[in-house]
Amino acid sequence: MVYEQARKPLKTWLQTLLHYRWHPGSLAYVLHRISGIALLGYLFVHIWTLRGLVQGQVAYDEKMQLFATPLFKVAEWLLFAFVLFHALNGVRIALLDLTQRGSRVHVALLRIVYAIGAIAMVGMGVLIFFDPFGT
Amino acid sequence: MKRWSAFAWYWQRISGLLLVIFTIGHYVTVHWTEASGHEFNSSVARLSNPLWQFWYLGFVVLGLWHGVQGAYNILRDFKLPRAVLLGAVVVLIGAALYFAYLGFDTVLTVHEWKHRP
Repeated sequence: MVYEQARKPLKTWLQTLLHYRWHPGSLAYVLHRISGIALLGYLFVHIWTLRGLVQGQVAYDEKMQLFATPLFKVAEWLLFAFVLFHALNGVRIALLDLTQRGSRVHVALLRIVYAIGAIAMVGMGVLIFFDPFGT
Repeated sequence: MKRWSAFAWYWQRISGLLLVIFTIGHYVTVHWTEASGHEFNSSVARLSNPLWQFWYLGFVVLGLWHGVQGAYNILRDFKLPRAVLLGAVVVLIGAALYFAYLGFDTVLTVHEWKHRP
């Protein structure tokens, strides 16, 4: 009974999603939620990783070896995309909700979000993959 | 209840804006180079400084609160049975408390382990 009740809304939600009238704002809304859940998960992982610090340098370095592989460098770059979008769009939401003019210019704000985001992604890509400061 | 919801609504936005500042600071100071962010000694040195400890305790609390409240806001958009919603809330708050404890304990005790191999 409970299972039936729980299942129906999810199915309806998926149907709604598939028939969603996509426009810039609704896309940002969905992306904000997906990136938010991912970032909460990552925050747990991040705190858990730093826990290695109290196990001493050997254990910590072993744990961090994982993050030096090329695969994880790409993953870190993608993580930055999530952080970036959630942060920039979050500022947009705050402007939208807390200021008088925000909701009238929200699509223009979204363009700014994507523009700053794209530039920062390129910058971070250079930092991660080309190591310009030679560390 | 209504007042609490209104507070939660504002707090989600204000904590989010604070987290943007924290995140920029975190990226610039910690992850500017791979060495500054991933090396044992630099991490321990940072977390032995009371100012950084204060900064990171705040970061942990704000991040977990904003994240768990955000997940709760998403759950509230679904017509979930009361028991499922309650169970999910217990799991979310439980996870937040556990990782807050883990983060606090790491930040506050890491300097004691500085000389461990």
